[in-house]
Amino acid sequence: MRFKLKIWRQSGPNVSGGFKEYEVDGVIPEMSFLEMLDHLNEQLVKRNEEPVAFDSDCREGICGTCGLVINGMAHGSRHECTTCELRMRQYRDGATITVEPWRARAFPIIKDLVVDRSAFDRIIQKGGFISTNAGSAPDANAILISKDVQEEAMDAAACIGCGACVAACPNASASLFVSAKIAHLGLLPQGQPERDSRALGMIQQMDAEGFGNCSNHGECEAVCPKGISILNITRMRRDYMGAARRVNPRKSGE
Amino acid sequence: MSVSRYLASTVVRKFIAGLTGVLLILYLILHLAGNLTLFAGPDIFNWYAGKLESFGALLWVVEIALALVFVFHAIIGVQVFLGKRRARPNGYAVSASRGEPSRQTLSSRSMIITGIVLAVFIPVHVWMFKFRPTPSIMVGSHEVRDLYALVITAFKQPLIAWSYVLVMGLLGFHLRHGFWSAFQSMGALNPRLLPLFYSLGVVVAILLAGGFLVLPLWLLYGVQAPGM
Amino acid sequence: MKIDTSITLDANAPSGPIDQKWDKYRSQGKLVNPANKRKYTIIVVGTGLAGGAAAASLAELGYNVLSFCIQDTPRRAHSVAAQGGINAAKNYQNDGDSVWRLFVDTVKGGDFRSREANVYRLSQLSVNIIDQCVSQGVPFAREYGGTLSNRSFGGAQVSRTFYARGQTGQQLLLGCYSALMRQTGAGRVKIFPRREMLDVVVVDGKARGITCRNLVTGEVESYAGDAVVLATGGYSTVFFLSTNAVNSNATAVWRCYKKGALFANPCFTQIHPTCVPLQGETQSKLTLMSESLRNDGRVWVPKEKGDKRPAHQIPEGERDYFLERMYPAFGNLVPRDIASRASKRMCDSGHGVGPTGYAVYLDFADAVKRLGKDVVRDRYGNLFQMYHEIMADDPYERPMQIYPAPHYTMGGLWVDYGLQSTIPGLHVLGEANFSDHGSNRLGASALMQGLADGYFVIPYAIGNYLATSEVLKTKVTTDHPAFKESVASVAAGTKKLLSIKGKKTVRDFHWRLGRVMWDDVGMSRSQDSLTRAIEQIRALRAEFWEDVNVVGGGDFNKELEFAGRVADYLELGELLATDALTRNESCGGHFREEYQYPDGEAMRDDDNFAHVAAWKFNGDGQEPSLVREPLVFEHVKPTKRSYK
Ligand SMILES: Cc1cc2nc3c(=O)[nH]c(=O)nc-3n(C[C@H](O)[C@H](O)[C@H](O)COP(=O)(O)OP(=O)(O)OC[C@H]3O[C@@H](n4cnc5c(N)ncnc54)[C@H](O)[C@@H]3O)c2cc1C
Ligand code: HEM
Ligand code: HEM
Ligand code: SF4
Ligand code: F3S
Ligand code: FES
Repeated sequence: MRFKLKIWRQSGPNVSGGFKEYEVDGVIPEMSFLEMLDHLNEQLVKRNEEPVAFDSDCREGICGTCGLVINGMAHGSRHECTTCELRMRQYRDGATITVEPWRARAFPIIKDLVVDRSAFDRIIQKGGFISTNAGSAPDANAILISKDVQEEAMDAAACIGCGACVAACPNASASLFVSAKIAHLGLLPQGQPERDSRALGMIQQMDAEGFGNCSNHGECEAVCPKGISILNITRMRRDYMGAARRVNPRKSGE
Repeated sequence: MSVSRYLASTVVRKFIAGLTGVLLILYLILHLAGNLTLFAGPDIFNWYAGKLESFGALLWVVEIALALVFVFHAIIGVQVFLGKRRARPNGYAVSASRGEPSRQTLSSRSMIITGIVLAVFIPVHVWMFKFRPTPSIMVGSHEVRDLYALVITAFKQPLIAWSYVLVMGLLGFHLRHGFWSAFQSMGALNPRLLPLFYSLGVVVAILLAGGFLVLPLWLLYGVQAPGM
Repeated sequence: MKIDTSITLDANAPSGPIDQKWDKYRSQGKLVNPANKRKYTIIVVGTGLAGGAAAASLAELGYNVLSFCIQDTPRRAHSVAAQGGINAAKNYQNDGDSVWRLFVDTVKGGDFRSREANVYRLSQLSVNIIDQCVSQGVPFAREYGGTLSNRSFGGAQVSRTFYARGQTGQQLLLGCYSALMRQTGAGRVKIFPRREMLDVVVVDGKARGITCRNLVTGEVESYAGDAVVLATGGYSTVFFLSTNAVNSNATAVWRCYKKGALFANPCFTQIHPTCVPLQGETQSKLTLMSESLRNDGRVWVPKEKGDKRPAHQIPEGERDYFLERMYPAFGNLVPRDIASRASKRMCDSGHGVGPTGYAVYLDFADAVKRLGKDVVRDRYGNLFQMYHEIMADDPYERPMQIYPAPHYTMGGLWVDYGLQSTIPGLHVLGEANFSDHGSNRLGASALMQGLADGYFVIPYAIGNYLATSEVLKTKVTTDHPAFKESVASVAAGTKKLLSIKGKKTVRDFHWRLGRVMWDDVGMSRSQDSLTRAIEQIRALRAEFWEDVNVVGGGDFNKELEFAGRVADYLELGELLATDALTRNESCGGHFREEYQYPDGEAMRDDDNFAHVAAWKFNGDGQEPSLVREPLVFEHVKPTKRSYK
């Protein structure tokens, strides 16, 4: 197979970038999208041109490192599929494919298709955990959790932190990511003691990072490789409103 | 946590957008019910308008509240829009929706446009039907404004009638996304309700926009103006 | 080969009965005064289960922690990819499990090449791990009554594996990550993502810091501390194609080896039986299909050689369920080394399926019939989906095609009972060390080991080290000449790679090295193949330094990152082959063709090889020397491993 690629090239964080066109030949249908880019890079290196920078690691859809906007869609056009899992058989031989990085103010571009998603870490630092020190836990079966609740929590916990939801959201909102963590921990009995502070802390940080507000477009759910539902967003709002009502201004130290 | 920080959060803003949106919808439902009395002819319509006015001060309170709701709603809508521009200063060269289960539609994307049209429309509309000097007529022993005549004269002008039709269409668009979105924003949905409200959005949009829309058309093409 | 007897490797395990060693270690180890803890800085490299758990737990104790990883965030360490589950001797199923049984299974599974004391401790701690993870909110699978659910894994006859769908590693890692983020938010951990450790700094014989490259700016940075904890994962990507992530590497451990840490059992590598077969030269990795699939999937090949009929046209009577046939007691659940080799034998003898003939079937037809599609989907849904994406084929309808692939490395830096390497102050955790799995790791035991090391062992071990080593009295900063020297040598290394400007790509070298390793140092090895491999690797290494082309600058440059890793692999590959050549026996994942029983099973030689082979670096171009740590089996008597 043969493709024409229009790829965003940008040499560093604070410089302007632009599209560059490349032809790749000798692509086989079994190749993943990233292997196709590897293949292109091999050819570029042989021509002494700088290869296209992009991030990836596990190459099996679980680490959340990869992520490209392909023909206007985050992670490409396949349902519940990351960029690294996407195969070239999805594309018509000879097609032109446009490849762009995640675009959001909170995800500044580092180089070419590589972006900085550390905003997600800072959000988790503000409450995306259950405070339990190693060694202090009771027996695992001392807490009974119904299968349904556990399954629901697992659905939300499946988030790989890739940021496709932000990339695809017309508002560049991080609501799906944040709500998935709030739902995962908020559904479980272990997560109850910190449920309020978690919702308040994480959402405040999300706002501070410069993500957009959520207009309920639901595009995030459609591109999410783990199919995280926007029901988590409505739940997160419920949690936040409840928490904000309950919160004691004196105790929160303000 | 300080109240201002709490209010400034995106979640609270959207909650308010949703709540004000629902209140506006409720108002529209009442307003439509009232307007439909136009079909029953001048007496009933004017009686209804008169009845409303007889609430006096209470009506004023309600109207001011409504105005506030409207302003709040509009401010937040504009803020969300500006925030979105800020959150993605450099847009995509190509962008496309992945389709199902995305709820991104023409309607959801054009909220700001349909909203602004409504923002322009409503003051004009209110001026037209409420604050403009209106001839009065007697209903029984009361003197009331002859709203019926006012409305019908207005809609006999095709330009006005068709502008209304257009705005009502856009209102329908605003509601197609707005209706279910409001509940999602207020944290009211669950796995059963979400699909239900999403579908109901179409029904609400068609009923409300359609309801308002037939009036100008009916008045323009169907009814003889009094005294003409 | 030089044998160095001047060094004695002492495991430093406490004396006494095996079930009391760990308690003794904990109660007799030296402690650091709580008020003093924040005066110590611990450098933790790696944020996988081992490193993440270590960094978080040490910070919880009050130490000041610096945490490094290659990825853009700690949450993406390769532990995230583990699918199947984690073992623990909870005996929730009442099926006869115990700490003792897990211990015996692990020692036997490792084919009697691990240290009993370590394995016993691992079994003991397995129980606490599950408690810890549940309290963090890890959503392990549960029964309708709300209790935890278990599945079976290879090499065990009890059900002791805890799992979270097919994403166990991800969920466990997110647990670690959340604990780490909590400490980062509290200011006790400082995280340094996108940093690659390229050197350990040793001052007065003690590990006092690291030098790394900032992968964004390209700057060479160094950090000083009072102890270094290394948890940088395994080196399976020496084979190029493996189930590991594309950034997995041996660079950190290799540079420590070159600074004096001994490298133990490099030839103990694990080839996992159930992976998606190779599809072409441009492939970048192989995808694992979790071992848990062998719970319900049946492995078979056509009885007829070269039978090219599609699977469904081959009648039941013409199928050879070879694992069930050869190992009736364990059937499809034999340990990995056994299953892999059996599959290879079937394919080598012409029974393989698929376009290349190098694949066997893993069939779920029976399971779907017995349990229904929904139950099967519930258990393996995401794996089936993954398979479907890659192969464009539906495992609910047609059997999967699978073939073995490099997966895990039991070898690693030598450590004592307290996880300390031969460089004082350098502790090594998780897959990066050699400790607990002998010559073959049982499924669901790596996650267990990583977390045991990180949450429960290192907090005590570090305290003991700090309290006895008096590092506080000799605080060093990065102004120390050793740091300056380290930075200069790392910078020079980078510059050298960039200046070669040859003709061949980095990937080309890695691919070719991988082919040599897979063909000659892979699932089965012989004196011939190993000697040949060593020659080829040397030639390839020479060619690399002459003819590699690293395009781009010294800043953000993935080619440069890979080049450094491949350069190290070109050295490690040779050590791996040398170790394999020296170990004249077959055991676990190490199979020497010369040493096998007539039925093809591995022939161990306990008289001559019941030891850890630890290698000492003697300088570039010099032969490394071998140091042996004898292994003593007091509780599980070595027998021929039989799963029949
Ligand atoms: C596909 C797959 C499935 C598996 N399934 C299972 C399973 O079901 N059950 C089980 O028990 N085990 C399983 N394993 C094995 C297990 O996942 C790993 O052995 C274990 O997670 C290793 O953890 P770790 O913390 O030692 O290292 P890793 O998780 O590999 O972490 C390594 C860390 O070190 C960092 N690092 C590496 N080099 C450097 C450097 N030079 N400088 C700075 N940082 C560096 C990385 O960034 C990363 O943070 C599986 C492995 C794979 C590959
Ligand atoms: C009668 C008039 C109006 C009605 C009934 C109405 C109704 C609604 C409803 C129900 C929503 C959904 C709220 C949510 O998602 O939480 C909404 C959203 C919105 N409205 Fe209105 N609205 C009206 C007027 C306006 C006006 C005047 C503007 C002003 C510019 C406006 C701008 C918006 C915008 C931009 C949104 C989207 C908010 C977002 O993206 O989150 N609307 N509207
Ligand atoms: C065909 C459609 C419509 C007709 C015939 C109509 C008619 C009227 C009339 C007659 C009044 C004056 C009532 C009075 O003075 O007591 C009025 C007021 C008003 N209308 Fe409409 N209207 C229509 C559509 C709309 C729509 C779509 C909106 C909003 C989006 C709207 C919002 C308002 C508001 C806010 C007032 C002022 C209410 C008050 O002050 O009490 N109208 N309308
Ligand atoms: S919610 Fe989905 S799209 Fe967003 S970060 Fe998580 S996995 Fe990626
Ligand atoms: S697409 Fe964006 S607007 Fe909300 S529902 Fe998803 S975050
Ligand atoms: S590279 Fe890990 S999800 Fe794509």
